[in-house]
Amino acid sequence: MLIAFYIVAALAVASAFNILILRSPVYCALSLVGCFFLLGIIFILLNNEFVAVVQVLIYAGAIMVLFLFVIMLLNLRPDSSPRSLKFGIAKILGIGLTVGILAQLIGVFGSSAAKLGPMGEYSAQRVTEEGSLEIVAELMLTEYVLPFEIISILLMVSIMGAVVLAKKRPPPEEEESQP
Amino acid sequence: MIPVSHILGLSAILFAIGVGGVMIRRNAIVVFMCVELMLNAVNVAFVGFAYGMQSMVGVMFVFFVLVVAAAEAVVGLAIMLAIFRSRESLDLEEFNLLRW
Amino acid sequence: MVAEQYIPVLMLLGVALGFGALFTLLGILLGPKRDTAVKKMPFESGLPSTGSGFKRYSVRFYMVALAFLIFDVEIIFFYPWAVKFREFGLYGFVVMSIFFVILVLGLVYDWRKGALEWD
Repeated sequence: MLIAFYIVAALAVASAFNILILRSPVYCALSLVGCFFLLGIIFILLNNEFVAVVQVLIYAGAIMVLFLFVIMLLNLRPDSSPRSLKFGIAKILGIGLTVGILAQLIGVFGSSAAKLGPMGEYSAQRVTEEGSLEIVAELMLTEYVLPFEIISILLMVSIMGAVVLAKKRPPPEEEESQP
Repeated sequence: MIPVSHILGLSAILFAIGVGGVMIRRNAIVVFMCVELMLNAVNVAFVGFAYGMQSMVGVMFVFFVLVVAAAEAVVGLAIMLAIFRSRESLDLEEFNLLRW
Repeated sequence: MVAEQYIPVLMLLGVALGFGALFTLLGILLGPKRDTAVKKMPFESGLPSTGSGFKRYSVRFYMVALAFLIFDVEIIFFYPWAVKFREFGLYGFVVMSIFFVILVLGLVYDWRKGALEWD
């Protein structure tokens, strides 16, 4: 299982890395779909089927579809500027900051993971027996019921806000290209 | 049993790739995808902690992160549509109206 | 462990990917390649193709995709409730009703704004 984790993790990192180098936004989006799918496999390896299903259904299935829709909608071409190998100051700063954040994250995680131990009541065996979905359902309707209701407000606000932002105002002149 | 530190390492690497993408890429939509990737890296860390600590709190947080990611995608892409309508471009270097 | 139950899925995935890769490779290796300008054109019912393959889509598609995404997320939250429907009874029903009514408010707003109309 450890080997499976390493293989899937390496594939996920590789397909995430594609975003940094591919020119076409469509390819970036598809590579990210692959990355999200592989992370779904990792969630299954971590004993959490429901999160894996959610990952594939929402992230790979819905959010990335929305991204692809917008790429098609805006008719984005691949970046056609010549690939420059000379690094501007912004790029050097960006890479430096990235490496710094990576080092800091690994430092923090490395120091905290050593102190961790099993301290909750949901052992792997219990999760397997009861099913992660059932446990999530119980927690969601009891302990986390208030955040759960607030989620609906967040979703409502986002659907309203997106419609207000994206809806074409009654145009004074015809300017949008017709399909 | 997968060591928790390795899961956290995967999460850190994915997060760093997301940060790098935000720093380097110039296409606003690709930058936005990198933000999604960072949110997902956080999800990996949450599930990894839940797995290692045998707790379910991390898994609950995944759902809240998920809703934030979905709402962010919907509203952010709508903002991009609005920007594209007035600027006809999504190159971040061209959004310089508020620059000093 | 949960992961063992998914080995058949993995095998199916492997078979699907393998077949796809195999026949693509066979096609590349075995097929004769004689490209002409006509052959390289995208097929458009025998007519000469016009314009580029990229086309700007209408923003209405985004409106539909947006509603889809929001209600997809909503379904994810309905799913655990459906599994524990009997155990929580009236309490669960009230909780989910509040959740649902708030979301429907958003849908009603969209409807009144005309975001769901096609023209």
